[in-house]
Amino acid sequence: MTAPPNKPVKRPIPPPPFRLLRAFAFDPSCSRHYGNYMSMQVPFEPDIQPGPAGQHVAVVDYDAANKCYYEPIDLNDHRILAGDGLNPSESDPRFHQQMVYAVVSETIERFQFALGRDVHWRWHRSLGNWPFQDKLLLLPHGVQDANAYYDPKMRAIVFGYFTASETDPGNNLPGQTIFTCLAHDIIAHETTHAIVDGIRPYYMEPTNPDVAAFHEAFADLVALFQHFSMKDAVLQALRGTHGTLFQSKIAPEMKSGADGPLLIAQVETGNPLIGLADQFGDGIGLHGPLRSAIGTPPNSRALETMTEPHDRGSILVAAVFDAFFSVFLRRTDDLWRIAGISRDEARDVDLHPELLARLAGEASHMASDFETLCIRALDYAPAVDITFGDYLRALITADHDLVRDDDLGYRSALIDAFRSRGIRPEGVPSYSEEALLWRGPDETLALPGLRMVPLYTSREERRAIQEDDAKQLFQFAREHAGIFGFSDVKHISVESFHSVYRVGPDGNWLIEMVAQVIEKGAKNDTAGEPNVFGGVSLVFNPDGTVRYCIRKSLKNRSENQAAFRRDLWERTSAGPYAAFRSLPVDFRALHRGY
Amino acid sequence: MPAKKKTPNPPSSQAAKTPSIRIRMYRVGFGDCFLVTLAGTHHILVDCGVHNTGHVKADGEDLLQKAFENIQQATGRKLAIVIATHAHQDHVSGYGTFADQFKEFDIGEVWMPWTEDPNDATARQWRGKKEALVGLLQTRLAAAGDAVAAAAVDNATANPAAMQALHSGFGKATVRYLKAGDTVDAPAGLTGFSARILGPPQDQSFISKMNPPGSDHYLRMAITAADGHTVHPFPGWDLEESHLLPDWLRLDAKLTGLISAAAEFSAAAVAFSLDKMLNNTSIVALFTFAGKHMLFPGDAQYGDWAYWYKKTGAEVLSDICFYKVAHHGSMNATPKGALEEMPLGKFAAMASTQSKPFPSIPQPNLITAIGERTAGAFVQSDSIPVAGAVAGPKLGTLPAGFVQGEESQGEYWFDYSIA
Repeated sequence: MTAPPNKPVKRPIPPPPFRLLRAFAFDPSCSRHYGNYMSMQVPFEPDIQPGPAGQHVAVVDYDAANKCYYEPIDLNDHRILAGDGLNPSESDPRFHQQMVYAVVSETIERFQFALGRDVHWRWHRSLGNWPFQDKLLLLPHGVQDANAYYDPKMRAIVFGYFTASETDPGNNLPGQTIFTCLAHDIIAHETTHAIVDGIRPYYMEPTNPDVAAFHEAFADLVALFQHFSMKDAVLQALRGTHGTLFQSKIAPEMKSGADGPLLIAQVETGNPLIGLADQFGDGIGLHGPLRSAIGTPPNSRALETMTEPHDRGSILVAAVFDAFFSVFLRRTDDLWRIAGISRDEARDVDLHPELLARLAGEASHMASDFETLCIRALDYAPAVDITFGDYLRALITADHDLVRDDDLGYRSALIDAFRSRGIRPEGVPSYSEEALLWRGPDETLALPGLRMVPLYTSREERRAIQEDDAKQLFQFAREHAGIFGFSDVKHISVESFHSVYRVGPDGNWLIEMVAQVIEKGAKNDTAGEPNVFGGVSLVFNPDGTVRYCIRKSLKNRSENQAAFRRDLWERTSAGPYAAFRSLPVDFRALHRGY
Repeated sequence: MPAKKKTPNPPSSQAAKTPSIRIRMYRVGFGDCFLVTLAGTHHILVDCGVHNTGHVKADGEDLLQKAFENIQQATGRKLAIVIATHAHQDHVSGYGTFADQFKEFDIGEVWMPWTEDPNDATARQWRGKKEALVGLLQTRLAAAGDAVAAAAVDNATANPAAMQALHSGFGKATVRYLKAGDTVDAPAGLTGFSARILGPPQDQSFISKMNPPGSDHYLRMAITAADGHTVHPFPGWDLEESHLLPDWLRLDAKLTGLISAAAEFSAAAVAFSLDKMLNNTSIVALFTFAGKHMLFPGDAQYGDWAYWYKKTGAEVLSDICFYKVAHHGSMNATPKGALEEMPLGKFAAMASTQSKPFPSIPQPNLITAIGERTAGAFVQSDSIPVAGAVAGPKLGTLPAGFVQGEESQGEYWFDYSIA
């Protein structure tokens, strides 16, 4: 045996799992509290282009108000790579681009983890010759407006900037420029709108009061749960709330004397974990955060009167967070007992840092579970005309499929929280778990010819399999129109077909295929006949048998949908002065409030 | 269109010498001017105005002028109550034009919504914002050539003469600022008459909806935009497209066009929003006299109705015998649910309207529905052409219970009498 020749070789270096990028955990107004200056781990894309432009997104910094571009950041510049990105700066647009890219990427990653597949953006017919391949366009300084919105017609998230109120600027300087693209919550919220639109495009058709509200609520849920992945913030909030976490106010560092607070340290502050977009809310002259998850005690009648999508959506957000915090309390009982202190006693003492760390760990872990569950439930939600009650059924079914025994009590907590807020699923006899689970078809339905997309494959092969599966499903749906609740097979289309590879908390795989078939009802705006939609979302086992068939048949809902859409038009300000239109959900107008 | 058939319902009272209640709708064009006469002697004037681009002339004279002349004559210059339901031109302009003459009247009380109260801080603040916004919108909409939205904004311009005269009670009358929940019994000595006020509400949820869109921030951005002044967030960083490096992404013309359109501040959207807000400050009053109930909702639109009719709808609406159609018969001013609460075939309705300046007002489906609900006891003000005026849809003859003003007096009004 001779030794190998001693000549230099270039051994492969494994790609890093993450790229570290600096960002604000909340927004610039939060200064350095709550770990606001954070480094985010985003998937490493070796070939990222200046912008940044990666696999899923392209940041293009065009400013329509000033009709100019701002120089794009090159994340592969060695100085930027070595420094974990640029340092947070309000005055360097390249940091803004970096932060938008980082938060959008993190949000996409969370969805891909939960869904067990890649996210894709919606194809809108207006896109035409779209220049950015499969990417979502991100415009960090698109418009001068106190607004940020996802626009499917541009396949873009447009972030606005504006000057803070002169008279009522909150924590901002009067007249200071506020950038919506530096608010972590706003970025996560808008990204969620875009992802949901890719998964359930017909949720942009407001066919009942819950549809637009669901879009808003869901985007808030994702943004809020992300707060709990920020360890420093959770720790500080736990300390300030003496371990209860869900209080809306954080106790001051020092109690005030009889004359009231004399120092900033004596002023109680809002709990940033459960509020959204503080700086934005302050900047437009509202006091405090834009919306708060935990606002009002459960009121089973609130849904009857709340129709504005944000108000209505806040009920859904509150229900999910009620369940989250209930499980958190139940699951941390043992920690309090071990520490030998009750929650009531804790109000007057500073808690041991190790207890806080354990509580924080539980909170983060559970938040991640809940967020994953919320996202995963989308695949179990109806294709059209969703209601909050449907979403409860989707949550219960999704969790049931992955975690057979409800040992942590997630499902019972969700059911209790939804019930206490008057969210009633249609067509179920009770709130029992068994009643809420979606059911499979009455007779066995199978499409044995369906093929799963392999885990690692080319884009072309994936597309070929998807198209083939969709064709088979289309044919099947035409032949089984009655089972799927279709009234006229001439107007049906297969909207999506995906293979899903999920891993449960116990390490078990859940492999399935999900698809949607849509039926479009009559439309004639000039005659005042709104767009109405029926549809079915299907969950298949890998062998092609149908596990769930979640139907929304036009037969018994076209009139309700039409009446709601007419009503929606009548409530618009322009209604009296123009002819009827089937209005889609318009995030730009919705966020603006007219 | 209104039903043309004659119908015996509601009971006709033409034979009676002095009807218990007579409601006179002056056919002013696009505006409201109603004179309610009780027992032949006491008079209540509900609004007196016309839109500046929706007025109608006959014999070279504005019909509002003719209406005013008839008011003088018919009331002997004595009005128990003068009401301005809300501060839109098409409801108050006459109070300014004829302010001096009205001061010669003997007026008992003047009613306005609480949103016009000069001593109410919330109302004052809101009006300030509104005024600032109106000016801006006018400039913008004129530049954009959007006639419909511009007409909506024109209507919201303050009429200082009218409002001043109203606030002063035309010199001597008692002034009341009314809100939902108020009940006014026997005002100005009108024994047997009462008014139950259903709108505008004064609670916080309503007030929060009353703010101009986006609140004061919006206004500031609008002012900035109107001045052609933009904020430069990164001085020195601006790059023209030609300065971009070859591997930097850029937008195509279609996308820059779409974003620029989105960046524009939508003057029309704000204009309609403002219009709705002002409409929803309308006094909604249920008059009761001699056991008869009459609903005068001003221009209340959906939001104002929604506030009260769902709770009290059946009770309030189920036994009315007269309905002044809200907001000139526009689509969202008479909610379907509310109309269905009104007693089928047992009430009459009047709509003061015409299709200029807003082609989509009145809304045909709603007009048909009101015609059906009243079993034909319905007229709209433009349904018999006035000589020399813009003709509305031809009605032919009036339904039973309605009388047109005598020809010698100019035929410029319709009367409906209740025994």
